Amino acid sequence: MNAAPAIESGARAGDARKVGVAQVLVYELRVRDAMSKPPVTAAPTDSLRSIQLSMKTHRFSGVPITRDGELLGVVSIEDIINALDQGHINEPAEKWMSRNIVTLRDHFSLVRAVAEFDRHGFGRFPVLDTSDRLVGVITRGDITSCLMQHLERRAEEALALEATLRAAHVDDEKAQRVVIHAHVRTGDYDSAGKLSQRMRTVLRERAIDPEIRRRAAVVAYEAETNIIIHSLGGEIVATIDPDKVGIDATDTGPGIDNIEQAMQEGWSTAGRLPRELGFGAGMGLPNMKRCSDKFEIVSNRIDGTRVHSEIFLRKAA
Amino acid sequence: MKTFWEVVRAEPLTDHVPESVTGCYISDLLSDVLAHAQPGVLWLTVQVHRNIVSVAATKDIAAVLITCGRKPDSAVVVEADEAGIALLTTPLSTFAAAGKLWEAGVR
Repeated sequence: MNAAPAIESGARAGDARKVGVAQVLVYELRVRDAMSKPPVTAAPTDSLRSIQLSMKTHRFSGVPITRDGELLGVVSIEDIINALDQGHINEPAEKWMSRNIVTLRDHFSLVRAVAEFDRHGFGRFPVLDTSDRLVGVITRGDITSCLMQHLERRAEEALALEATLRAAHVDDEKAQRVVIHAHVRTGDYDSAGKLSQRMRTVLRERAIDPEIRRRAAVVAYEAETNIIIHSLGGEIVATIDPDKVGIDATDTGPGIDNIEQAMQEGWSTAGRLPRELGFGAGMGLPNMKRCSDKFEIVSNRIDGTRVHSEIFLRKAA
Repeated sequence: MKTFWEVVRAEPLTDHVPESVTGCYISDLLSDVLAHAQPGVLWLTVQVHRNIVSVAATKDIAAVLITCGRKPDSAVVVEADEAGIALLTTPLSTFAAAGKLWEAGVR
């Protein structure tokens, strides 16, 4: 997660879109960044008395009751007061806990979390992930301290950036050419698209026609996934000039036996795992060729495979 | 008037979901989507790996509707939010969801 581009482009676009760092942060930071984890929980069979003691130790106003990570209910300070008042403080939590629980998801933005605090007036929310497992608890205090921490970090980063910018300003004039370089590892499906994403950002900043931008992005993305799926590892270099993008993908082998066959749609040598992830349609190389203005591929058993693609650039009308 | 995602009983996973989409594309093969999907469409797939976000971003796809009740990791949702791609999940099958969307006028 890196906020710098968002702030930068916001400021560049003019005053209308200027937003404060704190404002950006509440959108950017997630409940998972601010919540306390792992959550302190109690079992449904625990007595309200033991939960009262746990609340006292941790200074909590509520404790989630869980079984195997599944949220069953919450015992709040109010439940404890009632139990003391009515004399059932030694009974198990499951008998008296509140069962209708409002929860937050760990991927919610903090701005959404704050809205939920305002809406419900609760002091704390249990936090679930997308598989409905309890992963934390969040309070308004957690949000505040998380924001403070990140603001401090941003301030430090801003100071450091200012120093670098002053130094980099000199090079700015020749910055017409941007070169993006990425090592690509075999089987690293989680990293697919990293280079293509960086390239897209540059092309968007340069106001390149969206259709051309998408073609370049397809070439870069397919080149990345090809190396991940088929090769022993390699690298990609995207050279962005004002009038064209050059994408050079090289790997260290094992090489393609029959390039003509590989260029046919539907032909694939991908294994089971990549296919399950939606790769291996046999369209990678044909896609790259179709999206390129210039396309060359060389491959042999000794040097591996080298693909060179060029996409001519034009600014959006 | 229901939104396109209410029509398929979808649960939005990302903070932002567009009010409408310009059309629909269905495929579980990433390269096929890269080859044929139009920008601004809703993409229906059973894939949940983070590459769906990369592919959607590459083609300026507006939203990804994950079918058959499958759900991606929270990390994928965060990534989608950052990329400005909406992610939704529906309990319906791809076929049923497509039918309902067609009926609702998403063409």
